[in-house]
Amino acid sequence: MQQQSDATVREKKYKWCERILVLTVIILVMRLFDLQILQGEEMRKLSEQNRVRIKKILAPRGTMFDRTGKVLADTRPSFNLYIVPEDIKDFNQTVDGLAQLLDLDREDLIERLKDARDLPPSFPVKVQSDMSMDQVAKVEANKFYLPGVVIQIEPKRNYAYGPMLSHALGYVSEISPEELKTPEYQRYSIGDAIGKFGLERMYEKYLRGVDGEKRVEVDASGKEVRTLDIKEPVSGHSLYLNIDLEVQETVDKALEGRQGGAVVSDPRTGAILALVSHPAFDPNQLTSGSREYWQKIAIDPSHPLQNRVTQGRFPPGSTFKPLVALAALEKGVINENTSFLCGGHFAFGSHVFKCWQKRGHGSVSLHRGIVQSCDVFFYNVGLKVGVDSIHTMAQTIGITKPTGIDLPGEKSGLVPSTEWKKRTTGEKWYEGETVSVAIGQGAVWLTPMGLMQLASFMGNEGVTFKPQIVNRIVSPRGKVVKVFEPVMAADAKLNKGHITLVKEGMKGVVNEPGGTAYSTAHVQNVSMSGKTGSAQSGTGGADHAWFIAFAPSDTPSVSMAILVEHGMHGASAAAPIAKTVAEVMFKDEKEIKSVREGSPPEKSTDTRLPGVPNRVAVQ
Amino acid sequence: MHIDKRRLYHLDWFLILNGLALLAVGMVNLISATRSIESGPYNLLLKQVVALFLGIAVLFLILSYDYRVIAGYAKYFYILTLFFIVFVLIVGTIAGGAKRWLSIAGIAFQPSELMKPVMVLLLANMLHQRKREHEPLNLKDILLPLLYVLVPCVLILKQPDLGTAVVLLLSSFCMLWFVGLTKLTYLFIGLLGCFSVPVLWRFLMKPYQKMRILSLVNPDLDPSGYGYHSIQAKIAVGSGGLLGKGYLNGTQHKLHFIPEHHTDFIFTVFGEEWGFIGSVVLFLLFMSFIHRCLKTSRHTTEPLGSTITFGVASIIFIQFTINILMAINLAPVVGIPLPFISYGGSSLISTLIGIGLLLNVNMRRYMF
Repeated sequence: MQQQSDATVREKKYKWCERILVLTVIILVMRLFDLQILQGEEMRKLSEQNRVRIKKILAPRGTMFDRTGKVLADTRPSFNLYIVPEDIKDFNQTVDGLAQLLDLDREDLIERLKDARDLPPSFPVKVQSDMSMDQVAKVEANKFYLPGVVIQIEPKRNYAYGPMLSHALGYVSEISPEELKTPEYQRYSIGDAIGKFGLERMYEKYLRGVDGEKRVEVDASGKEVRTLDIKEPVSGHSLYLNIDLEVQETVDKALEGRQGGAVVSDPRTGAILALVSHPAFDPNQLTSGSREYWQKIAIDPSHPLQNRVTQGRFPPGSTFKPLVALAALEKGVINENTSFLCGGHFAFGSHVFKCWQKRGHGSVSLHRGIVQSCDVFFYNVGLKVGVDSIHTMAQTIGITKPTGIDLPGEKSGLVPSTEWKKRTTGEKWYEGETVSVAIGQGAVWLTPMGLMQLASFMGNEGVTFKPQIVNRIVSPRGKVVKVFEPVMAADAKLNKGHITLVKEGMKGVVNEPGGTAYSTAHVQNVSMSGKTGSAQSGTGGADHAWFIAFAPSDTPSVSMAILVEHGMHGASAAAPIAKTVAEVMFKDEKEIKSVREGSPPEKSTDTRLPGVPNRVAVQ
Repeated sequence: MHIDKRRLYHLDWFLILNGLALLAVGMVNLISATRSIESGPYNLLLKQVVALFLGIAVLFLILSYDYRVIAGYAKYFYILTLFFIVFVLIVGTIAGGAKRWLSIAGIAFQPSELMKPVMVLLLANMLHQRKREHEPLNLKDILLPLLYVLVPCVLILKQPDLGTAVVLLLSSFCMLWFVGLTKLTYLFIGLLGCFSVPVLWRFLMKPYQKMRILSLVNPDLDPSGYGYHSIQAKIAVGSGGLLGKGYLNGTQHKLHFIPEHHTDFIFTVFGEEWGFIGSVVLFLLFMSFIHRCLKTSRHTTEPLGSTITFGVASIIFIQFTINILMAINLAPVVGIPLPFISYGGSSLISTLIGIGLLLNVNMRRYMF
């Protein structure tokens, strides 16, 4: 009985063992089913993520050339420092070690890593761009103690002429976390360099190439085992600019050490030959991501980051007078015989407006009014024509809105009207304000770019073209992607006689003894027309010096606007710069002995008014 | 060495073929697992092959003596093995290095592995000396055997080798259960277990061992640290899918994402390369082997032999189960090899000694 019971007990135990075996297999197989079948795809993905890393190969940015084919901006190899968070073994060892080794800001380093925390941990985070050879050597020597630190050779933007073209070309730098969130930069990722300013920004989508990709297999320590495949990067498109480096250099040198801006264009096409704003900045330093330099220029009270040519609005002063004269002629309130008496001052209501010539100009005709820039003459004209007609003329010229130059952030000019005052202040316009507007003061604010268009309008006799810096876009294979044909911006139907009167006045400014710029801007080998301006800055300090010009006087191939902030007199500070530009541009022309001795050209003689000197064809 | 030819006839050839199949799977898998090891893959393979032949030699040696004779010497084997364990502990403490291996003439041996079959032999012998017919063992009967079990367990825990200690304890309890205890004794052992867990946690377990257990419950606790091992093992097995990535194509182990992939985590290599189908086949091979072991025990009427074979079966079962559970992230990371499959000479020889004892009983089962 007991014996049997012992055997049955054992049999029962074996039965239990069998059950446990079966149960164990069921549990194991169920778990395996869950892992390999249900989660299989997910796990396979995770193992691929472990193993495969996609490394970006940065595409070189497109090159920028001047009109003669000189390289203005290209790319060169640079050493960039990255941290791969996944490969960091000891956070403090890597971060502190690196900060100490290269004397970097530890907080900044951590900040950069924090910015990338949403990305996969295998994504390299850029912590320094464009390292010096010394730094590269230091990191390479200590590589073993800095797990997760990688140096990559990548193309870096290089501006051959540094600050000289900074406002035109702009600069590139790392995309900010804020920019990343905007739809414009949807397809960018952290650490990407983008055009931040100037042409770099305007033509970002052409200049930027298509980054390549290298898929590599890595082991658990992040070491590359082999390359799986490579997608080569494609360089960005090149820009061929209208900029003429020689002219740019001339203007830049002439403005050296001063604040101001100058723009030179070809009025026949709108092509920008030179664009200078001073003070300038060094785009190479900004592109290298130097925070010190950035801080330095960001707090600089002279605003080096502002493009004065397109973003600076200044009172135009007397350079505005040709516009007022043309408006009055077109309205019919004056003609070539109109003259006013200048006694050096002009009383209006209880206020006395002064002429810059204290002793007065005596009896002043329109021609002499422009040539000698008589303020009293224009006070009278202004009152006759009225502010609204002046505003309408400004609209016709196209300077009350942005000129449309291919640079970001262009500001429009402001020429007031009665309607404008009503709208902005709710008050009515006073006649006394018109007196100020007539000499380019008061509520008149224009950019150098706008005044260059004014000069072009006068020179072209009513026609302007949209200013363009870029001439054409060419693919890396040499295919022309896009050509920027001249775009007409203004085409005013003007009375030929009226415009000719104004042009002759502007010609006299430079070429007639007694003209305000005769002594400082008269050029031997070309007939240049222009207008000086000295405008009260409105912010205190010395007057702004202006000079607008076009040459040759009759069929101009160059027009320009030059501003020297607080330069006192347009004639002495700004006009000589126009002279140097003209001398450089027309250096191959024959010297003109006397402007008045030429033979009259056949074409336009009949439209000339009697008594007005004929032009000399110089080309 | 002499083996009676008639006895060979009684050998369970199905069991032997099953074991050989597992060994073959182990070798083939090991070729893949060791290919990425920098110190020379063939070096490790060669060592394993040497261990295999050594183990088979020991197996034949065991077969040539009656298991009852061998069991009679169990106490001496036990003392010798215990001496080695104490020796490595002392040498290790002085040298400040690993305390698991005993290195003799450049061959490293892990004495705690040897303790597994020795303990089976000793315990079976002791329990049967105390066993009275038709009566379960009472508390007094098992106090001394329990002491014999606990002494090496504590020493091995000190090494620290939690895995081997766990296997020793669990297989000992299996044998106690198999021989049969009074209800009061079960209660006592149960209470002892309950009380010893907090003591173990407090005084004997290392912080890293605690972290391993905690990270099983929550692998995200420290995904790059203690959770890393489990997560990567899970990814490896899971990424195998239905059919696996193919032999020699496992990326997880080849690119060193799994530490110890050739020893305790060998199943991750197999699971990744052979997938669900291959793994189920491997499980079935193990289960049929263990089932066959239990069958041997069942058909042996002589109680000592029956207990010895049961002990051997329990060791293989416990190691298999915990090792797989660990690889698929259902058990904490402990150092327990997968019998036949894991790299490791000591483990292989220990397993083969167990099989030797089993076959020994198997071929002599009709002697009574």
